[in-house]
Amino acid sequence: MRSAILGLGHYLPREVEAAGTRRPIAVEPGGPSALAASAARDALAQAALSAEAVDFIVFATMTPDVTFPGAGCFFQAQLGCGTVGALDVRAQCAGFIFGLVIADRFVRAGTYARIVVAGAEVHSSGLDYSERGAATARLYGDGAGVAIVGHGDGRSGLRGAAIHSDGRQHNRFWCEYPASRQHPLRMTAENFQQARHFITVNVDAVRRFGEESLPAVISEALAAAEVRADQVDRFIIAHLLPEVSEATAGRLGLPPTRVNVPAARHGHLTAAALPVALSEEVAAGSLGQGATVCLAAAGAGYAWGAAVLTL
Amino acid sequence: MRNARILGVGRYLPERVVTNQAMTAFMDTTDEWIQQRTGIRERRFSEGWTGAADMGLEAAQEALAGAGMRAQDMGCLIFATLSPDVDMPASACLLQDRLGVAGMPAFDVRNQCSGFLYGLAVADKFVKTGLYDYALVVGAEVHSTGLDLSTRGREVAVIFGDGAGAVVVGPEPDEHKGILSTHLHADGRFAEKLWLECPASRLRPRLTEDMITGPDARIFPKMEGRYVFRHAVTRFPEVIREALDANGLMPGDISLLIPHQANLRISQMVAMGLELPEEKVFNNIQRYGNTTAASIPIALYEALAEGRISAGDLVCLAAFGAGFTWASALLRW
Repeated sequence: MRSAILGLGHYLPREVEAAGTRRPIAVEPGGPSALAASAARDALAQAALSAEAVDFIVFATMTPDVTFPGAGCFFQAQLGCGTVGALDVRAQCAGFIFGLVIADRFVRAGTYARIVVAGAEVHSSGLDYSERGAATARLYGDGAGVAIVGHGDGRSGLRGAAIHSDGRQHNRFWCEYPASRQHPLRMTAENFQQARHFITVNVDAVRRFGEESLPAVISEALAAAEVRADQVDRFIIAHLLPEVSEATAGRLGLPPTRVNVPAARHGHLTAAALPVALSEEVAAGSLGQGATVCLAAAGAGYAWGAAVLTL
Repeated sequence: MRNARILGVGRYLPERVVTNQAMTAFMDTTDEWIQQRTGIRERRFSEGWTGAADMGLEAAQEALAGAGMRAQDMGCLIFATLSPDVDMPASACLLQDRLGVAGMPAFDVRNQCSGFLYGLAVADKFVKTGLYDYALVVGAEVHSTGLDLSTRGREVAVIFGDGAGAVVVGPEPDEHKGILSTHLHADGRFAEKLWLECPASRLRPRLTEDMITGPDARIFPKMEGRYVFRHAVTRFPEVIREALDANGLMPGDISLLIPHQANLRISQMVAMGLELPEEKVFNNIQRYGNTTAASIPIALYEALAEGRISAGDLVCLAAFGAGFTWASALLRW
């Protein structure tokens, strides 16, 4: 049986001034695991579950607490869910959709029934806020969103999804260093001085890719779900550039009232963007039980995906 | 629901052999000390611009050939590593580029020494539930560029080696064959007992020049060896018994145990605890060191090549490592 979202939670740090704009920024030390633990407590409460009831964790981030082990391990310890498995997934901006698809398959296979799927990022500690990097740095924010995934009631659930990658463009939108392929040492003082440890984005290429891939993957997920666009209450479209999400909605002829562009409010939260936006709407009461939502994201990798689900 | 099974296995090991004696050129250590503590005699170090995806490509091509398949037949690429080619995006995307199979989902699993089994568990569920018919699971590591090859780093540096392994997972109609079950665990309370701290997004900023060149050397892995050893010798047998219990089987039913090659002394204690004779436990750490996410598929390849697995055999794969994470999978070959 397909899986459903049983509870949602999100956590956004306080907004502060950064690179000439206001963004949620985790000014206290603490990685994505700490933000996700806050979000998870709300999600578990909404699902009326205790942390001990969780039987698996899927953690999507591209900004882990430390280099290894994965942020999922730190998250698991803070949440206090015994020795359940904690899978760390890297699919960049599409990480939450990839995580949802993985969780859905563990539920369908009957392996697990109460999975915490977290998308969380602390970008701010790795951005270049100097004049050199401000144009990129100002695009990002920090935050975490969590969904509890388990068995639905038959009407609710993940109705269709599509996930894709295209590694040919991996260096159009990347953070090159540390790079294990550089011998004899993957990170040197020289690499650091040359600022090779910051994200670089070819904005034109990333915009073109987003405008092509997002409408196509949304249509693919709708077809897989056998749901028409006019049956969807909300399209949440996550991309680094808000105008790409808007152009996607325009291309698909979606009325602006049914479109949510997370990056327009918080900056881009990558793996956290979709669960934060969905949780915000549920918390505000603008989406309730029975609402049908299409989540879509595209970004570095390239990796992109869409999921159609009924709450 | 159908099962999934392993259809092909491949591995790649860099040509450059680094013996324990060769390690003494970098640090104050001895062949005897390393062998006594770990069982390791030599390891492989890659050279030039070789990343995890470059080695993963070689292993993947061998696994595909073994399965009689092409890369474009795969439904997805799952890449387990803790030493990715670049910081971002995932090494899976770089492998996808080299395999020439744009479009299919490609993602990394970052679960350290248990990474291959976490990735295999995901592939198993994907195939079992019919999301995809075929999945490529790769484990690959270039440790050599991330080690402190000086006396300061010797406790950790002597253990790790470079390598890659890969498997093709596909459908198995017989529910009593193929991958019988997978078991995944973690305990993040011990995350800092075996870890590599920086870059660390929880620090502000996550990377400084001092972290790279300073006396603390926070860009290198650190380990509390005795602590890791103690947990490993408890969790390994525990997760193997969990897999056996889930299938109504006993340790004596195991034809071959392939443990993650963490340390020969750990494997020997695990075998003793389960009362498994030496010939039922596969070890090759002597030649490759600990290749983390790559060790199980490399060992599986060699076990098959040596004729140590026959049709109908019960094969147990098990891992323990940083996180802590630990895992097992039981396969009827």
